[in-house]
Amino acid sequence: METTVSEVEWKKGSAELLILSLVEARPRHGYEISKLIEQRSGGAVRFHVASLYPLLYRLERRGWIQGKWVEESGQRRRRYYRLTAAGRKVLASQRSRWQEFVAAINRIMEVEGA
Amino acid sequence: MPDWKPEILRRLAPLRLAPMREAEIAEEVAQHLEDRYRELLSAGETDDSAYRISLCELEGEDFLARGLRPVERELYREPLPPGKRSRNVFENILRDFHYALRTLGKSPGFTMVAVFTLALGIGVNSAVFSIFNWAALHMPAVLKPNQLATLAAQDIGGGWDNGFSYPDLVAIRNQSAAAFSDVAGAIIFTQDGLSADGNSTPVWTNYVTGNFFQTMGVKPALGNLIEPVEGKTVDDEPVLVLGYAFWKSRFGGATNVIGKSVLINGQPVTIIGVAPKGFHGVTSLIETQGYLPLGLAAVTCDAAKGFLADRKASLLTIVTRLKPDVSLASSQPMLHAIGLNLAAHDSTTDTWRTLRALAYGPMSPASNPQDDTVVGIVGALFLTLAGLVLILACLNVATVLLARASERQHEMAVRAAVGGARHRLIHQLLTESFVLSLGGCAGGIALGLATSRYLGSINVHMAVPLVLDFQFDWRVLAYAFGAAVLTTALVGIAPALRATRGGLNHLLRESVRTETPRTLRSRSALVVAQVAGSLMLLIVAGLFMRSLRNVEHANLGFDPHNVLNFDVDPHQAGYSKAQSWEFLQKVVERVRALPGVDKASFAETVPMGGVHHGTNLKIAGYSRPRGQGPYAGYNSVSSQYFETMRVRILRGRGFLDSDSQTTQRVAVINEAMAQEYWPNENPVGRRFSMASDPKDPVKIIGEVENSRVQHLTGAIEPFMYLSLAQSYHYREPVTLQLRTSLPLAAMNHEVAAAVHSLAPTMPIFDVQTMTTALDTTNGLLFFQMGAELAGCLGLLGLVLATVGSYGVVSYSASQRTREIGIRMALGAKEGDVLRLMLRQASLVVGAGIAVGILGAAAVAHLASHFLSGVSALDPITYLVASVLLAGIALLACYVPARRATRVDPMVALRYE
Repeated sequence: METTVSEVEWKKGSAELLILSLVEARPRHGYEISKLIEQRSGGAVRFHVASLYPLLYRLERRGWIQGKWVEESGQRRRRYYRLTAAGRKVLASQRSRWQEFVAAINRIMEVEGA
Repeated sequence: MPDWKPEILRRLAPLRLAPMREAEIAEEVAQHLEDRYRELLSAGETDDSAYRISLCELEGEDFLARGLRPVERELYREPLPPGKRSRNVFENILRDFHYALRTLGKSPGFTMVAVFTLALGIGVNSAVFSIFNWAALHMPAVLKPNQLATLAAQDIGGGWDNGFSYPDLVAIRNQSAAAFSDVAGAIIFTQDGLSADGNSTPVWTNYVTGNFFQTMGVKPALGNLIEPVEGKTVDDEPVLVLGYAFWKSRFGGATNVIGKSVLINGQPVTIIGVAPKGFHGVTSLIETQGYLPLGLAAVTCDAAKGFLADRKASLLTIVTRLKPDVSLASSQPMLHAIGLNLAAHDSTTDTWRTLRALAYGPMSPASNPQDDTVVGIVGALFLTLAGLVLILACLNVATVLLARASERQHEMAVRAAVGGARHRLIHQLLTESFVLSLGGCAGGIALGLATSRYLGSINVHMAVPLVLDFQFDWRVLAYAFGAAVLTTALVGIAPALRATRGGLNHLLRESVRTETPRTLRSRSALVVAQVAGSLMLLIVAGLFMRSLRNVEHANLGFDPHNVLNFDVDPHQAGYSKAQSWEFLQKVVERVRALPGVDKASFAETVPMGGVHHGTNLKIAGYSRPRGQGPYAGYNSVSSQYFETMRVRILRGRGFLDSDSQTTQRVAVINEAMAQEYWPNENPVGRRFSMASDPKDPVKIIGEVENSRVQHLTGAIEPFMYLSLAQSYHYREPVTLQLRTSLPLAAMNHEVAAAVHSLAPTMPIFDVQTMTTALDTTNGLLFFQMGAELAGCLGLLGLVLATVGSYGVVSYSASQRTREIGIRMALGAKEGDVLRLMLRQASLVVGAGIAVGILGAAAVAHLASHFLSGVSALDPITYLVASVLLAGIALLACYVPARRATRVDPMVALRYE
């Protein structure tokens, strides 16, 4: 991740990280992903359809996640996304970079606050 | 429940996604909105507000499209609608290939049969072409072969000869410096005995001038080659250069042969080097096994004694290298002048009319300027026949493709309707044909390679080591690829045009299952072409087979059955001339005493053996009617020869043991010689002399029936038999021939035992029956090969035409189901319909046969040079082939026609 991030890039980068971490444990469909982001952020971060799906498709195109239509009895079919092996590597590296970044920001803010 | 999809689709519309992808996205997003809506409802929102809040997820009108655009544009290519215009040609080609592979993969049965059929056609062509390439095109492995030329002289009688004497060579070299950078000579086709490590083997050698290898421009594979020596006109150093293949086979490719001393006809020589791989001497069709300096010929070969100063000893083949700026044509005036000059300065020689330089090639040395045309005619003939097979194969595949094309018209019309340009659709269909052809090409090359390997391994039963190396070089590969491209055009264009003809409207209005006059006509044309092509092949095959039969049953003038030949060469085993002769006498005595041996005799050469002797004669009182001196071929034979070979003695007697070196020289002549030189009189008792020995007259003691000795066809030339006792050459092997009533294989060991009881280490080689010995290139071999090749091509053609006609008629019948149904519903009987269909088929087959006969007459004209005892327009062959083909073709039409009449009219009508 670049260190001089514009807000858009920053948001996009972090959004990718969010989605990848959410499908890490098990496959999830788009609505479930958006709900989880909203819930876990206490409503602070929200993705609308118009930004969520382009993002999902982009990650899919890069081969980091893979979508699959799943039919459940008595329901309409839904598309579930799972993390691919490539996606798992990306997630690991993005996660550590993010943590470094946050730690750096924190250190800066601590100095300013002191 | 609200319907979300219209809202979503409206927002996706500007993206112009592929329909499948668009639907997928719409479904997923709608599901999302649906989930949101239900959740809001269960949280207590009203229908109306839940709907509004959910719709907010889509944000503005263009938000979704904007987010998706960069992703979707790259992610989803349209799934290949073939025929759609695209950005670049290369992409089109790739796309078409991809699509063609997919389409063909969907009908693997069709694809395999089509590829196999084309492979047969292309295989036959590449095999035939590889032979033609070997005989006419491939260049011998020498430096700049197009600068090389061999010389031939035309004498005043019009005959051509490529033999020159050493004084001729020197004179030509001295007078041609303006045009030739080098003039070299070689005595070619000499057989010597090579003894090394206690074994002797016959070897085919060239005796070459010092500048020979330099002129040819070759470098040694090992050691040194024979080189020009300063201040010496002719080198007679006792050295030997081995031919590459011989070095491999005789010495196992050992590098320590250099410096080794071996015996050539009993004379010690030192091996100094190995000629490069692929270099076979002046002629590239015969393996030269050893090269010796020209001067050595006087030592090792009796016949060559004193030849260096003898203008009549025309032993040398001359090879010249043209200067870079000189062409064959521009050297001609100079050669003409040299020819006249030489003739003017020496009255003893044949008076030359002109000298000619002939282009150097695989068939060199040519003896006259017409030699190449023969190869050209044979090539043209067999390439035409093979081409016919390919065309038949193409027609077969085209037939099936045409049928598929009719079925695909709907598909193509729909594609055209959604924007596929016609030329793109045609291009795409042609790509399919091209992929088929490429498959056929690959298979064909494999088949052709196997075939030509097989042909190259055929034993030609000749003492001369022929180099049958039908290589698949770039020319053959290019030819095969050319055939594949031609195939694409033949196979693909008509079906592609047909499949893309007519728009959607036209198709929807017209039922595809109805035959139009146009499709009927094109199918009829296909059958006509198949029948015609196949008939041409059959007729030519028939002519070749009849010719072979004629030759096989021709009156040879001797009886080759129950005769065994053994070659022995006591000279190679180190015997002196007197010892050799004594040995031969003992051998023949022992062999004659063996049980089961009727007669046994020796001969210098065997009929069709590839080695022939001939001599100019001096006959008192004989005037030259054709401007040529009296000439006769000859063979030196022992007593009992005519009995062993069963050559009938017409007058006088054969040779007796009492004819010896101390008695009068005697000869037995054939009828042709008697008629030519002593017409209407009894030649027995007459005398003549040979040009080589004018002071020793030869007395004719007998006249025998004409027999074939050099060629199985053509006129029989004057020929005579000399007494082996009086003209024993000693340095060449002789053939022991015996007539037996026992199985030939049983005699083999008996004779070997008899020979080895006299001399345990005496080599016996080329043991074969006289009938096998006839299968040489001079004898039956070319007739057999011609008949076999033409026969194979004819059979292939017949099979292809039968399958093809069957396919066309059965497809055509299936397309006419409705018509047949209507006819039968209106009261036509099965028999009526069958008759109708067969009448149409007969017309088409008849037309094919008419065209085929005309075509065959044209092709057979090319073949007429190689036919024996059968005319190129032989009515029996034409009739039998036509009837056979008509029968088979009509049967191929009958089966599907019969099936068509079995259709229930109601079913047929409902079928639409």
